[in-house]
Amino acid sequence: MNGKSEALNGQSAPRPAPGIGWNEVKAELIEFFASIKLAMFLFLIIAVVATIGTVLQQNERADVYIKEYGEDAYRWFLRLGWTDIYHTWYFTSLLALLCINSLTCFYQRFPGIWRSMHQDKVSVQLPFIKNLKQTVEIPVAGTKEGVSKGIVQYLAEKGYMVLAKNEPGEATLYATKGIMGRVGAHMAHLSATVIVTGGLIGSLYGFQEFGVCIEGQTYHIPKGSFDLRIDKFWIDYHENGSVKSYNSTLTVLEKGEEKTTKTISVNDPLVYKGIWFYQSSYGDSWDQVDVARLNVKDKKTDKILQTVDLQWKKETALDKLGLTVTLSDFVADFGFNSSEKKVYSKSVEHENPAIKLVMAEHTKKSALEATPWIFYHYPDLFDIPGSQYRFELVGYQPRKFTGLQITRDPGVTIVWIGSTMIVVGISLSSFIYHRRLWFKVIPARSDGSGAQGESSVTVHFGGTTHKNQIDFNKEFRKLTERIKTLNV
Amino acid sequence: MLRSLFLFDMTFWLYLAAFALYVAYVFARKPAMQMAVAGHPAESSSFTTESDQGWAVQIGQVATIITVFGWMMNTAALFTRAMERMQHSGTFAPWSNQFEAMSYVSWAIILGYVLLEFRYRIKTIGAFVVGIGFIAMGAASLLPYRYQTAEPLVPALNSYWIYIHVSVTLTSYAAFAMAGGLGLMYLVRERAERKGQSSQLLAVLPDLETIDELGYKAIMVGFPMLAFGIILGAMWANYAWGGYWSWDPKETWSLIVWLIYGAYIHARMTRGWEGRRAAIYAVFGFLMVIFCFWGVNFLLSGLHAYA
Ligand code: HEM
Repeated sequence: MNGKSEALNGQSAPRPAPGIGWNEVKAELIEFFASIKLAMFLFLIIAVVATIGTVLQQNERADVYIKEYGEDAYRWFLRLGWTDIYHTWYFTSLLALLCINSLTCFYQRFPGIWRSMHQDKVSVQLPFIKNLKQTVEIPVAGTKEGVSKGIVQYLAEKGYMVLAKNEPGEATLYATKGIMGRVGAHMAHLSATVIVTGGLIGSLYGFQEFGVCIEGQTYHIPKGSFDLRIDKFWIDYHENGSVKSYNSTLTVLEKGEEKTTKTISVNDPLVYKGIWFYQSSYGDSWDQVDVARLNVKDKKTDKILQTVDLQWKKETALDKLGLTVTLSDFVADFGFNSSEKKVYSKSVEHENPAIKLVMAEHTKKSALEATPWIFYHYPDLFDIPGSQYRFELVGYQPRKFTGLQITRDPGVTIVWIGSTMIVVGISLSSFIYHRRLWFKVIPARSDGSGAQGESSVTVHFGGTTHKNQIDFNKEFRKLTERIKTLNV
Repeated sequence: MLRSLFLFDMTFWLYLAAFALYVAYVFARKPAMQMAVAGHPAESSSFTTESDQGWAVQIGQVATIITVFGWMMNTAALFTRAMERMQHSGTFAPWSNQFEAMSYVSWAIILGYVLLEFRYRIKTIGAFVVGIGFIAMGAASLLPYRYQTAEPLVPALNSYWIYIHVSVTLTSYAAFAMAGGLGLMYLVRERAERKGQSSQLLAVLPDLETIDELGYKAIMVGFPMLAFGIILGAMWANYAWGGYWSWDPKETWSLIVWLIYGAYIHARMTRGWEGRRAAIYAVFGFLMVIFCFWGVNFLLSGLHAYA
């Protein structure tokens, strides 16, 4: 393998290859991977595959698909990977192929462009000029040297790079402009791989997590080995009542020491040691409330004796009734795990909210301690045996949680580098076009037809561009006019 | 209620008038002058000299004036809307919902057309491109009223990124609209050529090569701009959604559109992809742009769907 690729460099010696040698295979491979047809195919097939992912919702729960499309269809979706199409092996392969394709194109073509920036293109014959797409023949009065000089000067003014060769019978000029347009195209070709590489690094070494955090709490961020304290969360409203922004004030703590504090909101994350904290959502907490309002009723008469607002986990004494109550727990969607004998919230929705009271009752008639659950929707569900009272939960104010997205993506800088390359590259190639002009200035034969003492020459002038024919034609015409009226 | 709505209305009527005048202009031109051009695209000097007589000159001039006037009205409408937004919600961008975005696209299409007319002096293009600008404006005004007002932005949109990301993307749509219009024009002229010399259209439209080249140029303006717009969107998403790319339908669709035009510019380098095929492709590409702009907002769900 090693020896073979060395032989490549010395291509001057033809290898007596029996059958198909490495060189042929390599040439075929390059031919295939550098082909524009493959590029077009990839562009379009990626577009088609991407379309599937926009029509079919991605990463939904199974029942969502089954409800909409039926079980058979869903089985096919799974088999084809359509429920997460952008992470299937075939989509990834298409992207990889596009990278290989554009890299090969770069490898095949860029060296030529690079060389042409430094190379002599002035040794051309007259038939070459006459065969160009745009070509004219202009008789001009003047000497060979004088006319050449005039043309060179004009072209230089127009920003062309000019090479000239003066030979006894003729002068040849080569002028070029806008090579950056082609360099730009190849910059775009490299960028595809840069961007994909950045994305790959991100998905291999990055992470993305979601944290539900409550005001006043401190959370450890294991991947960053520091702590995050939620100082405050609040919502701003527009005049018409719609939400304007939601915000959290966060403090980073390292070993208990405050490092930095920032108020984040949507569009304005906190970045600390490469980890980004986004304000992503907010909602009502499902296991904490700030206040709950309670009616205390007489069990027999069903009359409201007193209404109190209970603070979270603070003991309240109702001396008149001989009661002390504490709001000790809350669940938004009551569930009971009978094996563990534990109450929990079945969901984050406030479907079946309930509070737990810790109460002590000492009156003339009764003395007891109890920890009843009081249901918002079912006030009469449980009776407290031996008590004179019944409790009714009439309302509560849930604690808000702030939803933080916590992300690290070490590939993102590379993606931005690739993005810059693609935008600069395509822009260069769109707005700068490569033009090449050739001139031969040939003295007219002195057969006596010209006036005495005045020499004349014929300028053969031709040019090409790889695109933007209209503007090039215009420029070509202007140049032709200019040469005709050259005053030397 | 909103002053800008009145101005948008005026813009609509002016564009309608301009469009009608351009169509009239096409039919008022004298055929004779242009016969030679059709067969000889190489002598392309002829496309810059539209020689008109009689009515045609005046109609053409009035069409241009009305177009420019309509564009100024459009500018005023967008500006007024920006001020209204400023008052209501403290943001400025007059392209924050579907209606405003459509109006902005019309604005960009017409601006592009006016620049093209001043540079290349081909008025007949107006019959196609001003037509698209007018249709965009018309479609905007057909939106239900609640889409037309200046409601405050939801928090995710409330950012300075909206100024640059949205305007760049929409401007690229306008360039693709221009290319689509030119593609249509190419096909119309090509059909006329196949039918024979007698057609009036044959005589008044610029030659095929010119139309083809201009269409290509429009795409070459739109292509880098869309790339830039998508990347600005990715940067915004990196601040707002916590990731630069999340395969949300809208961003995926703009990538799809970009890939479609990527295939186009590479196709042009292979043989046989100029002229008719390229024109059909440009029209197809524009239909995809329309879907990306309208269809996605109304048919597919996703993070972008706030219209
Ligand atoms: C991945 C994204 C790609 C982008 C953004 C891109 C972009 C471009 C651009 C803007 C141009 C200039 C077009 C013009 O001058 O009219 C170009 C030219 C070209 N592209 Fe691509 N391209 C990509 C992929 C590819 C691939 C996969 C191939 C594979 C063959 C390819 C082959 C070419 C060739 C041969 C040229 C002409 C280069 C020259 O002028 O020397 N491109 N490309």
